[in-house]
Amino acid sequence: MDKFFIKSTAICCSDRSLLPRFGLDGYEVDKSLIPIALRRRTALTTRMAITVATKACEKIGIDTSKLSSVFVSLGGEIQVTDALCRLLPDKKALLSPTQFHNSVHNTTAGYWGILNHCPLPSTAIAALDDGFAMGLIEVGSQLQQTDEDILLVCYDEIWPTYLALPIGTYAFACALVLSKTQQDNNPYVTFPKIMPTQLTLNLHWCDLVKQAPAAAAIPLLQAIKQRKNKCIPLNIKATLWQTHLYF
Amino acid sequence: MDNIKKRSSTIESVRISAYSTLNACGLGNQPLLNALKKNERALAPLELFEVDFKTYVGEIKTPLETLSSEYQDYQSRNAQVALTALNCCDDGLRLAVEAAKKCYGNDRIAVIIGTSTSGLYETESAYDYLLKNNEMPEDFNFISRHAYQATGRLLQLELGLTGICFAVSTACSSSAKAIAAGQRLIANGLCDAALVGGVDTLCRLTLRGFHSLSLISESFCQPMDENRAGINIGEAAGLLLLEKNHEANQHQPLLLSVGESSDAYHMSHPHPEGLGAQQAMRSALLLADIDIEQIDYLNLHATATKINDKIEAKAVFALSSPNLICSATKGITGHTLGASGALETIIALLALEHQFIPGSCGLETLDPEFLCQVNAAPLLSQKLRLAMSNSFGFGGNNASVIVAKNYG
Repeated sequence: MDKFFIKSTAICCSDRSLLPRFGLDGYEVDKSLIPIALRRRTALTTRMAITVATKACEKIGIDTSKLSSVFVSLGGEIQVTDALCRLLPDKKALLSPTQFHNSVHNTTAGYWGILNHCPLPSTAIAALDDGFAMGLIEVGSQLQQTDEDILLVCYDEIWPTYLALPIGTYAFACALVLSKTQQDNNPYVTFPKIMPTQLTLNLHWCDLVKQAPAAAAIPLLQAIKQRKNKCIPLNIKATLWQTHLYF
Repeated sequence: MDNIKKRSSTIESVRISAYSTLNACGLGNQPLLNALKKNERALAPLELFEVDFKTYVGEIKTPLETLSSEYQDYQSRNAQVALTALNCCDDGLRLAVEAAKKCYGNDRIAVIIGTSTSGLYETESAYDYLLKNNEMPEDFNFISRHAYQATGRLLQLELGLTGICFAVSTACSSSAKAIAAGQRLIANGLCDAALVGGVDTLCRLTLRGFHSLSLISESFCQPMDENRAGINIGEAAGLLLLEKNHEANQHQPLLLSVGESSDAYHMSHPHPEGLGAQQAMRSALLLADIDIEQIDYLNLHATATKINDKIEAKAVFALSSPNLICSATKGITGHTLGASGALETIIALLALEHQFIPGSCGLETLDPEFLCQVNAAPLLSQKLRLAMSNSFGFGGNNASVIVAKNYG
């Protein structure tokens, strides 16, 4: 197997007005997708990632209790970690146990599994500029071991300004349901590779990725919407990972 | 492996051509092996920084290598611990990577590192500065020191590798899942070798965080004991080079499989019946196409908390044959969090290589509720062929690794 099919996609962006220039639409964060008891424990990052994951799954009516998942984020629960780090200089300050277990990188993956009663494997990875490319590789690799579909969620929230500006200026999340088998003329992508060919990168996109790393997925999402067979860049910095999209 | 037939739902095994560790026992596999054979704890009061409560930790006292001037942006305790383990001459890990580069090419060797702390220790000091000065210190570099991929990326740069590289961060199962990802990539032909494992280092957030959950022990931890009272946190690097099977490496040990599952129950409490833990072990057995009766030694996750040990004992009993011998080694090294999956896979490999079953340092009286066999003192001169290691993390994230002695 050297390719896999894209069955469904969904996007969320903290500033939805940024999306039309790419010909894309995004969902509002839908807090109601998380039960109230859990909602007060979750940060924007989890709510946003769960919104896109739920929307992508709803579109194709897939059973989310039987879906392995790969969550990709550069900073993960950065606001939770930041709030905890601000307490640490005070040796007497008590940390919230809930905040502590919600600071792990797989917090969103954990809540997704709890909400969907899904006992299947879920992972949380990070790869800076290459996050989306590595997420596709990890999903593609997992797909070779299973006949079931796999959920890929790529997300990053708004970051405190003193950490790594311009990273975290905007929050962005997208979800893709990926499959080994084709259904309803789904498009497919080839395994990401480092390509020698120089692609001309859209400057608006490069600018947004510098501020919201998960937006690396935009050219692929754009080409899916436009139904274009295309060579797609998956990151903006050397080394350039690319894939081919085919209909 | 003539007597082990493969089913379609299985994964192709890969060779483990070299491995090394740095932990509280010292640098390399030998100090760890010595401590395991003597069942000797390497835990001591915390020296690296101050906390407001009493505990013991598995702190690395070995001098750490400094990063070359070229990679100063990546300077963190986590990166230094990783680099020191990579360069441990006695274990030949770096030489093995260099040989693999010649054999497969720089772009065909992946780097998949599990971590939960990354460079958090340095970030904490930066926050001291931030709160006093309203800005981060000049040399603060979140992306190359603290972001999760930083340590893996440093190893990739240091080794001159150019292929797939990412971090897995699923709390205490991080490095077991990094091993899983590496095996999958090789088995599916996406690379020919993978440097995998985990690195986590002591920091205030994890110590005080676990303390807030009332999970830190004031005294030496006692995994699986009826009087167990919590965790001693540790720090470690555990690195392994995985390679595809070929004629020249048939003498090396094998990674047979890694089973993974989710509890889907609670962020920090395991499923009361241990269903997730059972599923991870079952899945590992299925992927390797072996029965639990064939496992000669199980290294438990056993952190020494009341609830986790109880649930794991329940899960192991539900699944295993009564003869399976288990032990818990966190009483020696401390709980090295995101590195524990790799460190304890290395312990399983040492048990296979040296044909002994480690003990459970700190265990005096097995909790009478536990019906599985937990070995208190090391058993030498054993005949072992297959070993398993469990890792369970926050978010209900579980992984079980199965390794085999060479069949050459």
